[in-house]
Amino acid sequence: MTSQQTTLGEGATTAEELAEGQREISIAEFFEKNKHMLGFDSGARGLVTAVKEAVDNALDATEEAGIRPDIYVEIREVGDYYRLVVEDNGPGITKEQLPKVFGKLLYGSRFHKREQSRGQQGIGISAAVLYSQLTSGKPAKITSRTEGSAQAEYFELIIDTDTNEPEIGTAETTSWDRSHGTRIELEMEANMRARNQLHDYIKHTAVVNPHARIELREPGLDEPLKFERATDQLPAETEEIRPHPHGVELGTLIKMLDATDSYSVSGFMQEEFTRVGKKTADSVLDSFRDRHFGRELGWPARNGAPSADVAAAIEGALREAVSNKGADATDTFAERIANSLTERERTTYSQLVDIVATVADEVGTDTGKTFGATVRENAVAAAWGELTKFGAGDAADNGEDADLDRLTPTLYELVDDATSTRKDDAAVHGLAERLAERFVALGDDDEPNRMRLTLDDLTTLVHEAADTTEEYDDETFGDTARENVVEALWSRMVTVPDDPPNVNEIAGDRDTASELLEAMRETDILSPPTDCLAPITAELVEAGLRKEYDADFYAASTRDAEVHGGDPFVVEAGIAYGGEIPADGNVDLLRFANRVPLVYQRGACATTNVVKRIGWRNYGLDQPGGSGMPSGPAVISIHVASTNVPFTSESKDALASVPEIEDEIELAIREAARELKSYLNKRRSMAKRREKQDVLGRILPQMAEKVAEVTGRQHPDIEGAMARIMNNVGVDRERDGESVTLRVENHSDRSESLEITEIVSAEPEGLPDGVEPIEMDGEWFVNWHPEVGSGETVELEYSLPTDADADATVDGVDDEKLTVNA
Amino acid sequence: MSTEDTTDAEAREQLIDLAAEFYDQFAAGEIPRMELPTRTKSNIEYDPEKSVWVYGDRKSTRTANSVSGARKLLKAAYTIEFLANQLDQDRSSTLRELYYLSESWDNEEAQFNGQDESNNLVEDLEIITGVTREDFHMRPEESGATLMGPLELREQTRRGEREIHCQLDVGEGGYQIPNNPDTIEFLDHDIDFVMCVETGGMRDRLIENGFDDEYNCLIVHLKGQPARATRRITKRLRDELGLPVLVFCDGDPWSYRIYGSVAYGSIKSAHLSEYLATPEAEYVGIRPQDIVDYDLPTDPLSDSDVNALESELDDPRFQTEFWEEQIELQLDIGKKAEQQALASRGLDFVTDTYLPERLEEMGVL
Repeated sequence: MTSQQTTLGEGATTAEELAEGQREISIAEFFEKNKHMLGFDSGARGLVTAVKEAVDNALDATEEAGIRPDIYVEIREVGDYYRLVVEDNGPGITKEQLPKVFGKLLYGSRFHKREQSRGQQGIGISAAVLYSQLTSGKPAKITSRTEGSAQAEYFELIIDTDTNEPEIGTAETTSWDRSHGTRIELEMEANMRARNQLHDYIKHTAVVNPHARIELREPGLDEPLKFERATDQLPAETEEIRPHPHGVELGTLIKMLDATDSYSVSGFMQEEFTRVGKKTADSVLDSFRDRHFGRELGWPARNGAPSADVAAAIEGALREAVSNKGADATDTFAERIANSLTERERTTYSQLVDIVATVADEVGTDTGKTFGATVRENAVAAAWGELTKFGAGDAADNGEDADLDRLTPTLYELVDDATSTRKDDAAVHGLAERLAERFVALGDDDEPNRMRLTLDDLTTLVHEAADTTEEYDDETFGDTARENVVEALWSRMVTVPDDPPNVNEIAGDRDTASELLEAMRETDILSPPTDCLAPITAELVEAGLRKEYDADFYAASTRDAEVHGGDPFVVEAGIAYGGEIPADGNVDLLRFANRVPLVYQRGACATTNVVKRIGWRNYGLDQPGGSGMPSGPAVISIHVASTNVPFTSESKDALASVPEIEDEIELAIREAARELKSYLNKRRSMAKRREKQDVLGRILPQMAEKVAEVTGRQHPDIEGAMARIMNNVGVDRERDGESVTLRVENHSDRSESLEITEIVSAEPEGLPDGVEPIEMDGEWFVNWHPEVGSGETVELEYSLPTDADADATVDGVDDEKLTVNA
Repeated sequence: MSTEDTTDAEAREQLIDLAAEFYDQFAAGEIPRMELPTRTKSNIEYDPEKSVWVYGDRKSTRTANSVSGARKLLKAAYTIEFLANQLDQDRSSTLRELYYLSESWDNEEAQFNGQDESNNLVEDLEIITGVTREDFHMRPEESGATLMGPLELREQTRRGEREIHCQLDVGEGGYQIPNNPDTIEFLDHDIDFVMCVETGGMRDRLIENGFDDEYNCLIVHLKGQPARATRRITKRLRDELGLPVLVFCDGDPWSYRIYGSVAYGSIKSAHLSEYLATPEAEYVGIRPQDIVDYDLPTDPLSDSDVNALESELDDPRFQTEFWEEQIELQLDIGKKAEQQALASRGLDFVTDTYLPERLEEMGVL
């Protein structure tokens, strides 16, 4: 800034000079200084990230071309550097694209698409190229062969960090043994300290891409790690979709409104969003009207005082409002309107306008008189005046009806229903009256009072009325009571028929656009289509686990698609348990986003948070302290597929904590965990049974020997007794909180019909139809008659307070064959 | 249950018979089992003939068909052997000794896990064989309670016969009831009525005030929930000497249960009710009525007190007009009082006023 001082006095030239000093920072240059953001912060990590980016690219390229991926990864020590080679059998890249794909940051076909893919920003592989260039000074060596071409193309490529442009050093044709595919060779400063992460990454990639064949060679391995294909089925091809109404933000919405060709909001909604048809657009519009215009409160045509005949009063007012139409026409007109009003439960201003118009047309046709706009307006005003008559009017006008108040009784009923019965009656009446006063005071002087309010205004109005009532009537109206009153009023109010503003008006007014956005968010809309996503599917999640983990049990689940931020996403979970999985320490958590394993920053990841907050003891896994990572011989895998996976940072190591996604992750895990639980329960009951056989096999001979000793006889033959015990029917009780399960297991070789009588000390609930508890002296008797086939298990479930006792007796099976543990 | 004349040989035979039953079950290819009455509140019923509460018809079967059932039967077999040998050698042991002794058995599965287990097993054997544990030569740890009053008796001790007068020959502590009161013979007495007292404090108060002397009363100290020996001697005092028996406890639900086990028999030993219970025993106090009438200092009922009272209302033993009225009154006032609360009217109030008034009301004086 020294130059600034010297030129300060010379005015205009200062800015010019300053501008000369500023220049564009290229993205490549920026990232050179921010390597850590892309996962290249150390030599160890840089190597893993480079492998990751190259493999992700290779998988995407092959899948897009419908080819089953066959990927080869090699790491070799070359002097002070490491050389990374990644080969795929993809379609190859054309000569024109090649330097851009590998050499230019932010070049990618996917950044603007709503479609699931591994990479999204087009940063990854070029960052790897950049990293190798910066650390070793060597160019990236790329070989590519497109299908059918006789020769492969070979390039040496570096990135000009000033201009973000690739420079091709060597370009020649070469021969290559693959018939099509791409090979990239990078030399970089690195080390193998992150060998475990590297192996994890490759292994997990194989788990989540069971259709891929992957081979890894690196200096620490005696022979290459090979992961064979578990399925020939490629992931479903993905489609690009329009945004979902639940996921756009205000800025995006305004941009879309500006850009659209549609005139009406309804057209805009149907044209620009996925899952919006006429019906959905209409409900969005109704909700938008409620926010933009407010709703109208309707009033019944009813008697405010015992002596007043409301129908007559309305008729009278209407006759006075209509002039010069002849007695017959006027009478018919007034009578029909009055009738239709008294027949209706409630009528709003807009509805009244409609009714008057309809009746005016009808009567006009019948009598030949024309009821013009002025007459209609007068009629509406007269009838509305009667419907909403509120005592304050002056006595001269209303004569003996001076105190007639049609509003308060209506509001009183409503408030009385909405608030608790303990409220003082006078106070409820007071609140109703104050609400009425405020409704009457609505509207401008030169406009009729349509009693139209938005939800916000209504809430304010109710609060004011309640505050005043609290002050004068000495009764509290708490938040819940007020909310109930607002809710009751709002639900009785009716959406207005006014035409909503058109697209241009909305685009020009931020507040209106925000009302539209809110309306979109509040409306129930189908989840976005899932053809833009390629979930692995539950079977293949399981197949992937089965391939890489030798376990006793596998379970997997796939959730339905949900939306966050306009992007649909699908969560899948899998669990493998037992077998060769190490039993000590925490379970392994495999995290995947769009089929890419996440290796670093496990602690910061939403998936980890969700796993930790689940109570795993319920599902049969150990969890020290009841929260945190569960322990035991298990592997949990979680896959989040989305058109836009929210990561915590550009290096894409951890999923951000988005509540919608976390909820789905939890549900997916719980779904798989429930299967695990029932497997473990079964295993435990088998173990119990085995233990029983062991223990009895030991105890009974000892007992026989002892009784023989005491009685002074020969050792008895106990084989018959043992055989009976070992081949039996078991009834076990399980109590988990209030839920009670009686599990009937038939281990005999024929089916059994049992009669189970449960005697409990409190009233049982949740019994299936046909099972009726019988009460006797404070005890309840419950009877079941389950049929249990040979080798089968039946569960009888109901709920019972935790402190209640329960005792089951079982009939229908020979006692010797029966083990009751209930 | 023919308890009084069971000889050692008969008791031993009963045990061997049970073992033989197990043996026969094995031999017949059946799973060994024993059937016991269900020992719960809902399975005790009034036996009008004997005026006591006994086990009803509900039975539960213990079979070797489950791990815990098989272990219990194995333990039973070992215990049978031990008891049979003990009878053979004319030795005796305590329940606690049995528990420790099991540690020396060659089979770990047969050893007891806790004292409750061995106690329960001995009770089971009592029920099945119809022999009391005294006749197995098993005794409880804590000694029975004490007697004080104008009673002369003869006790058969291991060191010969002793003749004792329970007022003149004993110290302030009174005469110690032996574990098997059936070794006692009543010789002579001057008793008008027997008064069983729950707490030591009240017993000492009555003796200090000379209540036993003045009213010719035999004071039995219950020491809380009374031991079998205490209940047995009370029963014999009633049956053999024809004396009225009164029970004087605190005014709370737990004390009503003490009265219940003296008068009606306890749930755990309903099989011995005929031998232990004194259905003619009457409840002196403290009644909830007394709390009201004498305006006694009180404590509020705790939740567990209320539960206990409510469960007593369901208890068949307490379904009499007197108890229903008293318990409902207590639930109503929500208060309980100790015997010692009477001291709020002075140390002599209980002997000068309360007891004479109550006893007169009950027609004892």
